[in-house]
Amino acid sequence: MLGLGKKNPTANNAEKQETLLTLSILTLAAILSFATRLFSVLRFESVIHEFDPYFNYRTTKFLAEEGFYSFHNWFDDRAWYPLGRIIGGTIYPGLMVTSAAFYHLCWLFNITIDIRNVCVFLAPLFSSFTTIITYLLTKEVKNAGAGLVAAAMVSIVPGYISRSVAGSYDNEGIAIFCMLLTYYTWIKAVKTGTILWGTLAALAYFYMVSSWGGYVFLINLIPLHVLTLMVTGRFSHRIYIAYSTLYCVGTILSMQISFVGFQPVQSSEHMLALGVFGLCQIHAFVDYIRSKLSKNDFDVLFSFLVYTVGVLFVFVFGLLTLSGKISPWTGRFYSLLDPSYAKNHIPIIASVSEHQPTSWSSFYFDLQILVFLFPAGLYFCFSQLTDANIFMILYGVTSIYFAGVMVRLMLVLAPVMCILSGIAVSHLLTKFMKNTDSAKPSEHKKSKKLESNYVLKNEISSAFVGVICLLLISYTFHCTWVTSEAYSSPSIVLSARSHDGGRIIFDDFREAYYWLKMNTPEDARIMSWWDYGYQITAMANRTILVDNNTWNNTHISRVGQAMASSEEKAYEIMKELDVDYVLVIFGGLTGYSSDDINKFLWMVRIGGSTDRGAHIKEWDYYSSSGEFRVDKEGSQTLLNCLMYKMCYYRFGQVYTEGGKPPGYDRVRGAEIGNKDFELDVLEEAYTTEHWLVRIYKVKDLPNRGI
Amino acid sequence: RTIDLTSQLVKITASITLENTGKETVRNFLIVLEPDTVGNLSYISVKDSLKEDLKLTPTKLENHETGAYSVQLKQPLATGRTTTASLEIIVTKDLVPYPSSITQKEKQLVRYFGNHYFYTPYLTTKQTTSVTLSSRSVENYTKLKPVTQSESTITYGPYNDIPAFSQDRMIVHYENNSPFLTVTRLERLIEISHWGNIAVEENIEILHTGAKLKGSFSRYDYQRDTSSNHHSIKSYRTILPAAAYNIYYRDSNGNISTSQVRARKDWIELELRPRFPLFGGWRSSYTLGYSVPSYQYLYRKSSSEYVLNMRLLDHVFDDMHVEELETYVVLPVGVSDVKVTTPFDVERLADGVTYKYLDHLGRSVVKLRKTNLVEQHIQDLEITYNWQSVLLLHEPILLALALYVLFIFVIIYVRLDFSIHKPEHSKKD
Repeated sequence: MLGLGKKNPTANNAEKQETLLTLSILTLAAILSFATRLFSVLRFESVIHEFDPYFNYRTTKFLAEEGFYSFHNWFDDRAWYPLGRIIGGTIYPGLMVTSAAFYHLCWLFNITIDIRNVCVFLAPLFSSFTTIITYLLTKEVKNAGAGLVAAAMVSIVPGYISRSVAGSYDNEGIAIFCMLLTYYTWIKAVKTGTILWGTLAALAYFYMVSSWGGYVFLINLIPLHVLTLMVTGRFSHRIYIAYSTLYCVGTILSMQISFVGFQPVQSSEHMLALGVFGLCQIHAFVDYIRSKLSKNDFDVLFSFLVYTVGVLFVFVFGLLTLSGKISPWTGRFYSLLDPSYAKNHIPIIASVSEHQPTSWSSFYFDLQILVFLFPAGLYFCFSQLTDANIFMILYGVTSIYFAGVMVRLMLVLAPVMCILSGIAVSHLLTKFMKNTDSAKPSEHKKSKKLESNYVLKNEISSAFVGVICLLLISYTFHCTWVTSEAYSSPSIVLSARSHDGGRIIFDDFREAYYWLKMNTPEDARIMSWWDYGYQITAMANRTILVDNNTWNNTHISRVGQAMASSEEKAYEIMKELDVDYVLVIFGGLTGYSSDDINKFLWMVRIGGSTDRGAHIKEWDYYSSSGEFRVDKEGSQTLLNCLMYKMCYYRFGQVYTEGGKPPGYDRVRGAEIGNKDFELDVLEEAYTTEHWLVRIYKVKDLPNRGI
Repeated sequence: RTIDLTSQLVKITASITLENTGKETVRNFLIVLEPDTVGNLSYISVKDSLKEDLKLTPTKLENHETGAYSVQLKQPLATGRTTTASLEIIVTKDLVPYPSSITQKEKQLVRYFGNHYFYTPYLTTKQTTSVTLSSRSVENYTKLKPVTQSESTITYGPYNDIPAFSQDRMIVHYENNSPFLTVTRLERLIEISHWGNIAVEENIEILHTGAKLKGSFSRYDYQRDTSSNHHSIKSYRTILPAAAYNIYYRDSNGNISTSQVRARKDWIELELRPRFPLFGGWRSSYTLGYSVPSYQYLYRKSSSEYVLNMRLLDHVFDDMHVEELETYVVLPVGVSDVKVTTPFDVERLADGVTYKYLDHLGRSVVKLRKTNLVEQHIQDLEITYNWQSVLLLHEPILLALALYVLFIFVIIYVRLDFSIHKPEHSKKD
C-alpha cells in the first residue's frame, strides 16, 4: 500500500511532464508550420498567388456572398465564352466550403475578417492541422516520440510548403490534411475494428473527395492495404468491419459531390476498391464457412467457388467495359502509369510544368535528408510488421513512384517521407540516447556485462547523436532557405534586384488587370492564352475565352490557332469568337522568361492538334536549322504570326540594354528579326509600365466602301 | 473681376464696390448668378473689406428661382456711401474640351463659355474682367472691345454703365493641359476608437474628364515623351494630417506599390500614382487609409460628453472636384445623444449600424452626403455625443469571459469521465 502510494506520484509526475512536453512541442511545431509559410505576406502583402488560387478565391467569394445553393447552381458566363461553365458541377467544393465556413464562423463572433484574408491564411492554418494529424498518425503507427519528430519534420518540409504558403489558396492546401486525417481514422479503424472509426474514416474520406481529385490515390491505396493484409493472412474481422464501413459509407458520400457523380461505381480508377470490397465479403464468407464445415467439404466448395466467381467477375467486368458503363482510364491517369504517355498523346497535359516527371535534384531539393532517412524508416517498419506499418510501407512505396512520375505529386510523398523519417530518427535516437545514458554510475552490473563487448560505446553514441542533430539542423536551414527563396514569390508581383542593390517591383499584371477592369466595357471579351484566364476573371472581372480549367481542348486549340496564324487569318478567328481585346504577356524588356513567346510552341502544338488547325505545323515555326528563334534567322511564319506581332509591336525602336541594337530581346538574347511593321486589325490599347502585359483592341470590321 | 481658368475649375473672384444711391440705409444686397452657371456652382462666398465672411441667404427673385443670394452687410450702408466686398465663386464642369477627343500626342484644348459683363441686378458703372489662362496658346477668344491679351491673360474692358442683368457671350478657346480629374465618388469612413486612435479610410473613384483618348495608347511614345506638360495624369499629391500613420494605398486587387510618403513640417504629403496613367475617359479607383491619434480631434466636454472635430472632406489633389461625397462616422459602442454640426448644408442620411471586431452590440454610424464639392469645402465637422468610458472595458471583459467559459469546459471535460462503462484496459494482439 505504502509502496504504491509512493510510486504513483512520481509516475504521475513523469506522465504530466511528458504530456506537457508533447503538447508544447506539438504547439511549437504547429506555430512554426504556420509562421514559416508567411514569407510572402511579410515580404509583399496578403495576396493570392499564382493562377488557380485566383479561381478558388473568386468562387469562394461568390459562395460567401451568395450562399451555397446559388453556388451549387452557378453558371459562369464569364469564362469559356461562348460556352460558359457550370461551376457548381465541375469543381471540388471542399476548399471553398471550408473557407466560407471559417468566414461565417468568424463573422458569427463578430470578428470582421476579410474573405481574402481567410483565403490567404487557410493553407498555413491547415498545415498546422496537418502537423498535428501527422503526430497522431505516426503515434498510431509507431509511438509518440516518432510522432513528434514526424510532426516537426512535416511542419517545414519544402515539398509540402511549395503548395501551402500563405496565399497559395489551392485544393492541395487542405487536401493533404484531409488525406492524413483519412489515413489516421483508417488506421484507427483497422486497429480497433469499430464501426465508429470506420464511419469517421468514411467522413474524412468524404471531406477528402470534396476537396481534391487526388482522392483517387487514396481510394486505391486503402483497398491495396486491405488486399495486402489478405494476402499476408492478416485479414480479420476488424479489417472486414473497417473496410466495409468505409467503402459503403464513403462511396455513397463521395457520390454526393456532383463533380464526382457516378464515377465511384463506373470508372476503372475506382474498380480496385469495389473489387476488394467484393473480396472482403467472400473472404469473410469463406472464413465463416470454414469454421462450420469439415476440412474436406470446405476444400471442394472453395475450389468451386473460386472458379465460378472468377469467371463471372471477368465476364461482367468485360461486359461493362465494352458497353461503356465503366469509363476508360482518363489521360491524366495514364500519364501516371506511363510518364511518356501524355507527351505523346495530349499536348495540353504535357504543357503544364507541374505534370512533368520529377528530376532527381528536385527530390533532394524538396525533401533533403528525408530522402536518406526514408529507406531507414521503411526498414524499421519491415522489422516489426503490424497492420499499420504495412499501410505506411504501401503508402511510402506507391507515393514515391507517383512522385517520380509527376512533379506535383511530390506533395503526396512529403508527409509519408516525414512519417517514415520520423520513425527512423526517433528509433535511432532512442537506441543511442540510452547508450549515452549508460555512462551514469547508477547502472546494473548485469547489463554492463552484456554490453561490455562494445568499445567506446558512450563516445560512439554521442557522436552518432551529434551527427543526427547536425543533419536535423541542416534540414531546418535547408527548408527555411528553400521556402524563402523558391516558394514564397507570389508570381503576381515580381521583384528583381536593381544593379545598385535596391528592390524593383514589377506589378504589371495587376496594373493590366486593373486597367481592364476600369476601362473596358463590362461585357468585353478578352482573348489570352489559358494560363491567365483565372486571373483575368478574378481580377479584371471580364469575360474570357479559355482558362486554366482546360476542359475543352478544341476551344483552347482555336485560341492557339489564332495566336499562331497570320493577322488576316487570326482576324477571322477572332471575329468568329467575338473577341474585343487580346492580352499577351511579353518579357522581352524585363527579361521575364515565362512569357508568351516562350510558351508559343505549346500554342502551336495545341493549335495544330485538332482538325481545324491541321494547317498549323510545328515545323513551320522553326528556322531552317531547326531552332526556335526570333531574330532574322527565324522562320517567316513565326515572324509574321499574330503572337509575334503583338509581342514585338513597336519593340523594334526600344533600346533595352546598353551596347545592344534597338529591339534586343533580353529573354531570347537576340535582336528581333521583324522590326517595322504595323498592325492592321488590332490597335494597341494598353501596355504596362515594364511592357510585361500588352493589351490590344480588335478593330471593328471596316465600314463598307472604305 | 478675375476669371481664373488655369485649372479644371472656373474660379471667379470679383471685387465689388457698392454705392448706395437710394435714399434709405441698406442692410443687404443681392448677388445673382447667371442662369447657365447655377447648376454647376460649387462654392460661393462673400467677404467684406476686412476679409470677414458675410452671411449669405438664398432668396428668390423674379426670373431667378435659384442662384440669387442676399448678402447681409456687417455695417448698414448709408445713402451715398460706398463699401467694398469681394465675391468668390467656383464653378465646376464649365470648361468643355474641344475637340472632345484627341490622340495621345495632341494637346488638350478647352472652351470656356462665359459672360463679358458681371451679372448683377444693379447698374454697373465701370467694370473690367481679366481672364487668366494656363498657357499662352489661345486658339481664339471673343473680342468685345476694348480687349487686350498679354502672355496668358486676356483683359476685357473697362466697360462703362452696363445695365442690370446684361449678358454677352464670351468664348475663350485655349490650351489647358492641367489635370482634368474628377472624383466621381468619395466615401470617407471615420472610425473612432477611444483607445486613442481614429482610423480614416477613403474609397475614391476618379475619372479623367478631359478630352477623351482617341486611337491607341502607345507605351513607347508615352515613355519617350518626358515633358511634364501632358494631358494624361501620371501622379498627384494628396495631403494628409501631420499626425497620420499606418498609411495604406490599395485597390481591390491589393496594394499599389507606386506611392511615396514625404513628411513636411505641418502635413504629410503623399505622392500617389494610380496603377496606370490616366488618359481622357479612363477611370480608376483606390482606397487610401490612415490613422491619426485621437487626442488631436476628440475632446472631452464634460464627464461623459465628447466632441469630435474632423474634416468632412479632406484633400485629394490640388484643384480637386468631388462629384459625390459620403462621409460615414462610426461612433464607439453605446453612444447616445448624437448631435451633428456641419459647416455647410449637408444631406444627412439615415443612421446605420455596423459591427466591428467583437461588437455584438453594434456601433451607430452617422452618414452624411453632399454633391459637387471643391477644395474650399475642406472644413470641420463637429459631432457631439454622450459616452460612458466604462464601455471601453466591454470587449476585453467579453473576451475574458468567453475564454474563461472555454477553459472551464475543458477542465470539466478532462477531469470527469463521461464514458458509460469503464474501458477495460485492453489486450492488444
